[in-house]
Amino acid sequence: MALSLPTHSSRSLLPLPPSTKPTFPTLRRLNHRVSLVTASIPLLQVNDLRAKIVESNVPILHGVNLTVNQGEVHAIMGKNGSGKSTFAKVLVGHPDYEVTGGSVVFKGENLLEMEPEERSLSGLFMSFQSPVEIPGVSNNDFLVMAYNARRKKLGLPELGPLECISYLMKKLELVNMKPDFLNRNVNGGFSGGERKRNEILQLAVLGADLAILDEIDSGLDVDALKDVASAVNQILTPQNSLMMITHYRRILDLLKPTHVHVMDKGKIARSGDISMVETIEAEGYETVSTST
Amino acid sequence: MNGVGFSAAAWSSLIPFSSSSSSSWVSQKKLVRPKALNRAFTSDPYVLELAETLEESIPSTPSTPLPLHNLRNASSQSLLSTPWPSRRDEPFRFTDLSFIRQSRILPLSHPSPVKILTSHLPPTVYVGPLSALSSSSLLHTVSQYLPHTFPDADLFWSINGIAAPDLTLVYVPENCHLQDPIHFHYTPPQPPTTHPSDTMYLSNPRVLVVLEKGARAHITEDFSSEQGNDNGRYWSNAAFEAVIGEGAKLSHSYVQTQSFHAAHTKWTSVRQDSFSAYELTEVSAGGKLGRHNLRIQQLGPDTVTELSSLHLSVGEQTQDLHSTLVLDHPRGYSRQLHKCIVAHSQGQAVFDGNIKVNRYVYALVLQYVNEMHSVQSIERLRYAQQTDAGQLTRSLLLEPRATVNVKPNLQIVADDVKCSHGAAISDLEESQLLYFQARGIDQNTARRVLIFAFGGEVIDKFPSSSIRDRVRSHIKNLLDPSSN
Repeated sequence: MALSLPTHSSRSLLPLPPSTKPTFPTLRRLNHRVSLVTASIPLLQVNDLRAKIVESNVPILHGVNLTVNQGEVHAIMGKNGSGKSTFAKVLVGHPDYEVTGGSVVFKGENLLEMEPEERSLSGLFMSFQSPVEIPGVSNNDFLVMAYNARRKKLGLPELGPLECISYLMKKLELVNMKPDFLNRNVNGGFSGGERKRNEILQLAVLGADLAILDEIDSGLDVDALKDVASAVNQILTPQNSLMMITHYRRILDLLKPTHVHVMDKGKIARSGDISMVETIEAEGYETVSTST
Repeated sequence: MNGVGFSAAAWSSLIPFSSSSSSSWVSQKKLVRPKALNRAFTSDPYVLELAETLEESIPSTPSTPLPLHNLRNASSQSLLSTPWPSRRDEPFRFTDLSFIRQSRILPLSHPSPVKILTSHLPPTVYVGPLSALSSSSLLHTVSQYLPHTFPDADLFWSINGIAAPDLTLVYVPENCHLQDPIHFHYTPPQPPTTHPSDTMYLSNPRVLVVLEKGARAHITEDFSSEQGNDNGRYWSNAAFEAVIGEGAKLSHSYVQTQSFHAAHTKWTSVRQDSFSAYELTEVSAGGKLGRHNLRIQQLGPDTVTELSSLHLSVGEQTQDLHSTLVLDHPRGYSRQLHKCIVAHSQGQAVFDGNIKVNRYVYALVLQYVNEMHSVQSIERLRYAQQTDAGQLTRSLLLEPRATVNVKPNLQIVADDVKCSHGAAISDLEESQLLYFQARGIDQNTARRVLIFAFGGEVIDKFPSSSIRDRVRSHIKNLLDPSSN
């Protein structure tokens, strides 16, 4: 399948050097509002998306509708089993799920026709909720391989492992990890927190137009959560968009979503702004999902 | 070092053996279990003829060292009652030897198929052919260990015994630590330029390693095909024996990358005295048939044994590991990792990993009464307690109809032991592939990396970095010929 190069500025695809500006979420919000005005076509347009589990034929998504524009920060909340993670996995092309209806257009392209690696190369990133361990493959080799796949896609020459080192070191600093992290096997013997940081490290190395963070906050202590949030704030520019799936308010306070959605029974039951989180905290998902 | 005569091994036939193991094979293909065998104890004419040809090829002169002479006699005796193995014999149930049998076997009278590469040996160490050994005391020491036989010694052990033209001896005296590895390069039989196509030239290299108390050595056995001789049709039938003294440590690397038309049968028999350590790292990827028989026998308590093997079948090949670990003494620690990759629809891997943890050993006790009499009794001793044995086999089948037959089996008769075993047969993990793809790496690259990483776990265990690098690139080429 032929893929056009990113329609958006390649800046957003090419990983940027760590930002020198202080992490100050409100500044980012101001910036993104500006960019929001300039965005002409939606970054991601999901229409009536339906999907089932391949193995059991159980339908999970019953018609999801969602539009994400450049620079927006979306939070998807909802109770366990409402389809939040399935939605994220379907977007990145997880083979356990089969799309049974609807459409997804990402940067003007039909996302559902792309292989998972093509989706990644076109600027879609998802952090895994439980990243799998890959014995025998070092974090360093994995990152170099992924970074070179990205460079190849952009028509840039591939780099040797040594040439990548200084670039990777900067990204390690960003997620507050020690250099020996690179020598360990991918997610091998990582603690829950290390796995999550590793996902963000990959986001930092690869960059993304749309980053989907699937429960990046679960299993993190307060300090780790701050590290992760600050890294995400530094990685994302006003041109990037973010979709986070979460159960908790803590990360929302740090990443300041512009849109909040509540998923229920495989659909987006309600959308609003950050103020909706207050209602959820006070009255629970049931009330929020059913009231319109 | 213990004499072997009164060790547990010598009495193993007295062990009243009740086995708790199941002998079920984990198999990808449904196979009918053969009926119980009536092993014929009559001579097999084919074997006798082969034995005769082999004996004739070996010059028996008065100068033949006595241990070698004894070895040949004992082997010749056992060949009289050993038939050519058939698929009805349990140890060869999945291993087809017919292409050897259908060939005309001709022994090659190599002066020595073993090339020794080593340097800086202390003068007290001996590494060389037994025939060149001048020290009579050392010859006497060697006589203690030869010939060695054990219950599961097979035809190939005996064939090597009668046909080995010489024996390469490694002798490391007490407390001597060898810094540099001893490297054996086995030259495959070089047939004459014109020979009938059904002929298979046979070589029988044999090595005996004796590490005295507290000694340390690292030995590398390298069965790699010569450049440009990748199509050789030959049969290497090698035997490696080691006796590891009290507190001694042997690190053993074994690499087999012979021709895809060759037969490679190999014995590794190790006897471990108390507090000794044996580490084996094996990578076998060559041969139409690769068969490794590995036997470790504990001679005393507190031994450490670590075995790691990687078998790779990328063509119409069978890679077969039959291992037996006999733990008769307390506090033996063992870890075995077997990994195989079958990347061809006609490829096969076989693993029979047997661990015997025995509870009782019967010892012959002679009590002195007076000059004329002694009381002889057999005493039952409780042994092999606090054994810690672990075994894991993992197989990767990459093509439809690729076959693996694995039988990890523990026979535990002691009651205070910790044993574990596991077997997994699979294609690559979907979740791992997706993880690569989700980061923009295409599926073919991901598969290649994951397959190599699977084998890398064993390759990483070679102590020598030059062996590691060489094996790594060889395996990479086999798995992905397009890579260079």
